[in-house]
Amino acid sequence: MGFSMLGPVFKQMFKKPWTNKFPAKYQPSSTTKYLEAVGVGKAKINPPIPTPPNFRGKIKYDKDKCIGCNLCIKVCPCGAIESKPEEKKIKIYLARCCFCSQCNDVCPVKCLSMGDEFLLAGTDPYSKELIVE
Amino acid sequence: MSPKKENNQKNPEELVKYFKDEFKTSIRSAEIKKRKAGSKKNETSTIWMKVEKSAFKDVIKHLVDYQFPHLPVVSGNDLGKTIELIYHFTVNYGTRMNEINLHISVDLPKSKPEIETICDLIPGALVTEREKQEMLGVKIVGIPDARKLFLPDDWPENIYPWRRDETGPEKYYKNLHEVKK
Amino acid sequence: MSSEATTKTTYHIPIGPIHPALKEPVHFEFEISGERIIDVDVKLGHVHRAVEWASRKRNPVQILYLAERICGICSYCHPIAFSLAVEAAADIEVPERAEYLRVIQGELERITSHILWAGVAAHEIGFDTVLFLTWEIREKALDLTEYLTGNRVTKGITMIGGVRRDITKDMIPRIQKDLKFFKDNFQKLAHIFLDDKTFKMRSQNCGILTKEDALKLCAVGPTTRASGVKKDVRVDTSYFAYGDLDIDYITPDKLTGKINGDVYDRIITRLLEVKQSIELIEQCIDKMPAGDIVAEPKIPKLLAQLKKVNGEGVGRHEAPRGEVIHYVKLTGEDAPYTWKVRAPTYNNILPWIPMLKGEQIADIPIVAASTDPCMSCTNRVAIVNNGKHYELNKEELHRLSVEKTRRLMR
Repeated sequence: MGFSMLGPVFKQMFKKPWTNKFPAKYQPSSTTKYLEAVGVGKAKINPPIPTPPNFRGKIKYDKDKCIGCNLCIKVCPCGAIESKPEEKKIKIYLARCCFCSQCNDVCPVKCLSMGDEFLLAGTDPYSKELIVE
Repeated sequence: MSPKKENNQKNPEELVKYFKDEFKTSIRSAEIKKRKAGSKKNETSTIWMKVEKSAFKDVIKHLVDYQFPHLPVVSGNDLGKTIELIYHFTVNYGTRMNEINLHISVDLPKSKPEIETICDLIPGALVTEREKQEMLGVKIVGIPDARKLFLPDDWPENIYPWRRDETGPEKYYKNLHEVKK
Repeated sequence: MSSEATTKTTYHIPIGPIHPALKEPVHFEFEISGERIIDVDVKLGHVHRAVEWASRKRNPVQILYLAERICGICSYCHPIAFSLAVEAAADIEVPERAEYLRVIQGELERITSHILWAGVAAHEIGFDTVLFLTWEIREKALDLTEYLTGNRVTKGITMIGGVRRDITKDMIPRIQKDLKFFKDNFQKLAHIFLDDKTFKMRSQNCGILTKEDALKLCAVGPTTRASGVKKDVRVDTSYFAYGDLDIDYITPDKLTGKINGDVYDRIITRLLEVKQSIELIEQCIDKMPAGDIVAEPKIPKLLAQLKKVNGEGVGRHEAPRGEVIHYVKLTGEDAPYTWKVRAPTYNNILPWIPMLKGEQIADIPIVAASTDPCMSCTNRVAIVNNGKHYELNKEELHRLSVEKTRRLMR
């Protein structure tokens, strides 16, 4: 056949689109403001596609378990973890984190784990949401 | 599965012997390393060969006569008093599990880091030779195209990013690790 | 209409660094006579990021993630080639199961990359409907990658001496389901790319690279195999589990019976390689032995072991675009003494010149894209010159763009 793409194109016209319209059917003028409105229950969100098991999202830190061995600082590829020597704990700057979960693997007491939160974009790298301690 | 042998292909031991017979003491050292992989533990051989600068071009000529080698890249080390260039070749490609990695290294004195071009034998070496010239400050004698390749044209003279002495790029480097407090 | 009848003078056209036809920054300077290309010059280095330099402050485990960020599409081959080099230098033996898992990841990346390329190639000749069809399939491949590794692009699966995540029994049905999807759609894609009149008209006898040129200019990967050179690290050497698997060189004569070395042949080579990759993953799932997935699971111990090593090693892996080779020299310090990365496009720059010479201006995008260039892979080292650097802050940029818009609205 000379033009083999014609068939798939016609079929496509009757298929449902693949795209999941996230966060809303029509793009809001400000996504941040829209998500804030969702947070206080003023707007409804179109849910994102669920993350797969073992997804690497925002780090969860169990502060009580941490023994302050600083091994995670040694293996972190982007220097995102800072030591707090006076209380023997750590501080993670998520703005620098590359979500490799290497600190999870190296931790001897398993106080770090990867969550499934992924909406982390922001304008201030030192905001409260982007620092885990 | 034993590697099939083509009519004039040499195995690693024969190849080393061939070069040692031909160049005698100009081959300073030659070492064969083998690494096994997979469940069947098939081997891949690697030859590390150190040659004198004077014999270098002839070694490449003999290599081209044996089989046109594939030259992936030339890498380099700044070893303090000398600059080591390592030419990574592969030969015997085209048959199943028969390829030999051949790494030929040459030491150049830092006071006069010069080496002859091999572009006349292997035209594909041009990109990597141009890179060595700008990154390590090695002068490639007879290179057909001596312009800069990766670095911008207004790059300061006598600064070479791969050097580890005062001609290195230390002062142009910003510390990116600092975290704002 | 011959060019002599009109004029004999040639003129120069610069294309790039930023150009709609090029997906990444590279600068071409063409010497043109009429519509025909007489000579080409390539200038690189617009996306240098000093990656090798950055490695001087990092230990081998940290470098794995740095290597992953050399390129977004080859985010598996760079760390794996680096760990192959380190394993060769430190003489670490990798467990058998890990070797098979490494093949599965490598081949999955090849499927993703080649299908992405097929879409881009279609886009370059103006056939955007095919772009969307291929990227629909690629989306599935990325979903499978995410399922197996945890993320879609930066996989973080490599570890020196093995891999970080196992494929358990309950994951296999999902993999087989997706492989079946790829197989079904592969037939569709092959039909579109190989039988369509539009594709044939644009790609046959265009951008020819002869076997001799491919050999002499040290081309790698599908680019060289499409010209008939039998060169594939997976077949030539025994690394990972490739030595155990049934694999052969893919050259275009397997399908058409002859080798032209044109863009069409490069399309054939890549499409056949997608099929080969699917078969390789199936073989791996069948043959995979049980056992450990990493040689030394305790990372502090591994780092201490690497700190004692004094030696050098080379790692070679067949990436989707061709052979990637890393050289590592360890001297008993935290960071390696030297780390040299060579990405496949580095060797595929020179073959552009014979390919482009004699072609028409309109063919530049598809010929340039036919080697599947990846500029970010190739350019890695640069340091900003403090004396001359200038910085624009957000306010200034905003002011400038507002001014520009006002100017345009006038």
